[in-house]
Amino acid sequence: MNIDIIPIEAELRQDALLSWLNQPGKRLGLITSNDGGQIVTLLLDTADSAATIWESQMSDCKYSSLTPRITQAHWMERTMWDMFGLEPTHHPRLKHNLLHEPYEEKFYPLRKENDVVARSGHRQYHSLKVKGDGIYEIPVGPIHAGIIEPGHFHFSCVGEIIFNLEIRLGYVHRGIEKKLSEMNWQKQRFLVEAAASDSAAAYALAHAVALESCIDLVVPEKAQHLRSLALEIERVAMHIGDLAGLAADVGFLAISSSLGRLRGASLGLADLVSGNRFLKGFICPGGVIQDPDGNLSKLKAKAKNLQKELEPVVRYFLTNQVVLDRMENIGKVSERLAKDFGLVGVAGRASNQMYDVRHHFSAGVYPLLKPAIVLEKEGDVFCRAKVRANELVDSLAFIDMLLETMPCGSHSTNMPDALRANAVGLGIVEAHRGELIHLVFTDEQGNCKRYAIKDPSVNNWTGLAIAARNNLVSDFPLCNKSFSLSYSGHDL
Amino acid sequence: MLRLLGYLLMNGVATSKDYCPSLGDEAIGLPKLASNNCIGSECSKCSDICPTEAISVLDGGPNANLELDLGKCIGCAMCIRICPEKTFSSNASTETAAVNRKSLVLSTKALDIQAVNDIEGARSPFARSVACRVVSTGCSACDLELSAASNSIFDMERFGIQIVASPRFADVLLVTGPVPKAMHAALKSCYDAMAEPKRVVAVGTCAISGGLHGSGYAEANGISDLLPVDVYIPGCPPHPWSIIDGIRKVMR
Ligand code: SF4
Ligand code: SF4
Repeated sequence: MNIDIIPIEAELRQDALLSWLNQPGKRLGLITSNDGGQIVTLLLDTADSAATIWESQMSDCKYSSLTPRITQAHWMERTMWDMFGLEPTHHPRLKHNLLHEPYEEKFYPLRKENDVVARSGHRQYHSLKVKGDGIYEIPVGPIHAGIIEPGHFHFSCVGEIIFNLEIRLGYVHRGIEKKLSEMNWQKQRFLVEAAASDSAAAYALAHAVALESCIDLVVPEKAQHLRSLALEIERVAMHIGDLAGLAADVGFLAISSSLGRLRGASLGLADLVSGNRFLKGFICPGGVIQDPDGNLSKLKAKAKNLQKELEPVVRYFLTNQVVLDRMENIGKVSERLAKDFGLVGVAGRASNQMYDVRHHFSAGVYPLLKPAIVLEKEGDVFCRAKVRANELVDSLAFIDMLLETMPCGSHSTNMPDALRANAVGLGIVEAHRGELIHLVFTDEQGNCKRYAIKDPSVNNWTGLAIAARNNLVSDFPLCNKSFSLSYSGHDL
Repeated sequence: MLRLLGYLLMNGVATSKDYCPSLGDEAIGLPKLASNNCIGSECSKCSDICPTEAISVLDGGPNANLELDLGKCIGCAMCIRICPEKTFSSNASTETAAVNRKSLVLSTKALDIQAVNDIEGARSPFARSVACRVVSTGCSACDLELSAASNSIFDMERFGIQIVASPRFADVLLVTGPVPKAMHAALKSCYDAMAEPKRVVAVGTCAISGGLHGSGYAEANGISDLLPVDVYIPGCPPHPWSIIDGIRKVMR
């Protein structure tokens, strides 16, 4: 993909971005920086499958925040403050997103020149205080009761009703972007996969596409098919797992354990393709690492069987009256808020957001071949469950089609030792949670100098906070499961 | 409801009857050392390609001394693919957990010591059942495999292994992930809240050594410097059977 880089003054971005977002099919991809000396704004044009970067040189480390008028910028501006010391003025709720008390003041891991005059006293985290009669607070985490990644939820409640939910993340910040910019590209893919291993195939694919787009490499058709195969298997496994989680949270154990068993079967598909239950190490720049040809007929039979076994379970689940009672009208996100906050993936499509990366940007066999977009309108827990269930059916049919049309030929092509100098690479992939972006910049030697990742959860965490409002505390687990967000992909 | 019941009955018992069966043919397990034909430091292809510095080629060949540290290995299989002398092969065994950190380091000088079953010393106070508290600090794959270990296929509760929601009534602390700086305090307080006797299990390569994440500014170097570790379960992530096997090792 050809990416235009357009210089623009930081202060002019607000109006320009507002008018960009008002056009149909235009999105904000990511706001970040290379080394603190500039702001990089990635804009996506889904109708034309095009991307544009606005680069704003910064002589100062302050700029006026986009958030008051462009709400979806709020999370990214906070992260940019953490990592680069670029401070948005007039940000309505400026606080650190990733680096909290354990880190020293004035520590900005991705900033090149440490010349920032830091605001003092702000490592200390303060949750929003809701005041009023009978308001009480429930802090939860970072360690959760079950087997889940760490994060902190701060509920302000009136009686049983959640008035406000504040989500504090960063507990699994491992410094991945910094490491990626310090290692050679050949080893990056392992760290990229380990950033959020439940999306290993999507991460590896976004990585591969980003690097290949740096050097305009075309990978063989068979590799593209196998990559999509891996991505869809991952989606099937995770969607089944998420539905199982929802079933467990409404107390429908027969369904959750049946789905748990079937998730095992989908991991078996992953094993057949890649030798790994999480498809780790399979997709690599240039193609895929091994040709699973000998296993494909077995895979086809097993996928068919899975399809057959899933159908009744999902049907019993989503037509059950108790399930409907628990899920309908719970955890609603309106279409307008979904658009304002830029929600992606299942959560976006459940609130009528017509956006599925597979229809717009090239990676694997997409957008040449793709399953249909699954949309729902109400934006509640039940809609998110239905989107998953329908996508599951589509993905399994798509897997069958991919196997049916598997091309002959090579499963990979050679990558050069070094990437092109001063290049930009972009990989956009529909992970099972939604739009995943990898953006790479190389230096004069063709080494990666900046590796930026935007996990779908970056957009969607706010969606969860909105969905939880005005719902019962006891329905929160269900809301949470219906979003099924990643902590590690967000924290990096 | 009746139809659902019919469906469940028709599908029968999903639970595996074998304990820790070997991995299927298509699965790639952790590497093991298969020969001592290593041609030595002039080659070093494996240690160059390994993403986690798990391999050290210690001298020149032929039959060079090579060490493979499973506590650092993420099982990417690149060493198996690249070695011209077939020094490495995939280990199909799921009984890979170890009680000593050093027994995770395999050497071509001791090819017969591949299995890391090294139980010794006094009997465990948790011979029949353990209540485990999970602290997750990683990428969620280890967590998913840990959850899978309690699904109807693996069903670890039948071995007396239970996951509990509070450290106050837990016997064993299961830690996944490399424990970055922001989780140090939470992990310590969770451990301190547990009553004696207690045990700690490092689940996965990240927890053992930091894996791919070690030695960065986020200090995600695993739990070895933070807590005393009783059992190490290598893998990225470890297979559910390996996790069950590891927890069973604190029960013996
Ligand atoms: S193990 Fe294999 S690749 Fe490594 S040094 Fe020996 S012969 Fe070379
Ligand atoms: S399988 Fe383990 S030892 Fe071999 S290259 Fe990968 S990480 Fe290194």
